[in-house]
Amino acid sequence: MSADPGIEGAAGPEGRLAALEDELASVKAELEDINLLYQATIEHGEAVEDQLAEANLALQVTQKRLSEELTEAANYIFSILPEPRKETPRTEWLLVPSTELGGDSFGYHEIDGDHIAFYLLDVCGHGVGAALLSVTAINVLRSAALPNTDFRDPGAVLSALNEAFPMERQNNMYFTIWYGVLKRSTGELRYASGGHPPSVLRKADGSVVTLSTPGIAIGMLEAMSYRAAQCAIGEGDRLHIVSDGTFEVETAPGEMLEFPVFVERLARSASPDEVLDWVRGLNGPGPLPDDFSLLNIQF
Amino acid sequence: MTSLNHETVNGALVLKPSRRIDSSSAKAFEDDASALLDKGPKKVVIDATDLDYISSAGLRVILTTAKKAKTAGGGLTIACAKNNVKEVLAVSGFDNIFGLHDSVAQAISSLA
Repeated sequence: MSADPGIEGAAGPEGRLAALEDELASVKAELEDINLLYQATIEHGEAVEDQLAEANLALQVTQKRLSEELTEAANYIFSILPEPRKETPRTEWLLVPSTELGGDSFGYHEIDGDHIAFYLLDVCGHGVGAALLSVTAINVLRSAALPNTDFRDPGAVLSALNEAFPMERQNNMYFTIWYGVLKRSTGELRYASGGHPPSVLRKADGSVVTLSTPGIAIGMLEAMSYRAAQCAIGEGDRLHIVSDGTFEVETAPGEMLEFPVFVERLARSASPDEVLDWVRGLNGPGPLPDDFSLLNIQF
Repeated sequence: MTSLNHETVNGALVLKPSRRIDSSSAKAFEDDASALLDKGPKKVVIDATDLDYISSAGLRVILTTAKKAKTAGGGLTIACAKNNVKEVLAVSGFDNIFGLHDSVAQAISSLA
């Protein structure tokens, strides 16, 4: 304390000068330290910036790779969807996933010379997981790969699918389905649905009926039995098979599009694109909240 | 803390979701229902009085809640659904599986 000129005051001008010089030296040293610290911080900051830039680049590369892989997966899904049929019954369809990968898929194929099957399924949720289950199930149907199952019997097909795909063994995923089989020689259509919206049949005379059976979604509960229903199909009739994402849009905040309104519009539509435009118009800007799938069959 | 309206009536947990169960609210419903079931009740009634809309994501969490109740030795049923919610429950087949009731009291006694 004795060196403090401000308090002592008795050391004389020289003493005070010496004390001030000491103080100046220590302030200089402190400044030096701060400068060094400052330099170090700047260098560190530059290093961090470099690291960030590097990480950013790596992220971009990964993102690009992931996005390419997702595109590849989406291409695969579209590649297993059937070509539109040019001969009677003619088909046209539209599938627009809400995200890059969706849970909807569909198909149709001739079981034998007299029977032709049409089906559309919707796995709960979106993304890679839903898409994987969707293509697995559709491939099982396409290749008739269920044990001891008559693929001409829609009830048997849904019951067998329910045995094959319990949600507990499918990462808690399940799917809804509509499956119908046309017997061409008689014009009889047998169909069954599991938790799926009704299909819409517009008869040649302009009347409209909806086709569904009361089963729940495939994989939800064990040991369910699904029963088929049937109806007569005539020349000029048209069948529309849809997923719920095709009509579950809000027409105003809190107001959902009502199914009967959708059915009416669907029945007088000329093409799947026309229906998509109409639904998009109701939904407003931005992507639809769920996958849009529509399969038209003209008998 | 759960934000899901609920009460216990005669030992049954009555869940009263408001407005919508859709993809944005389904997870919260599932978590809340699960936490409430962990406290002991085995019977669950979904009181759908205030429910305007249920999406497929909503059906999924009703199902997981029902499975949890069933595993605990109880069950789940649904009461007071409005027409448009009833339609969704009918299309999904949930009406047959879980039952629809006109009042919460009826729903509770159906689980007895």
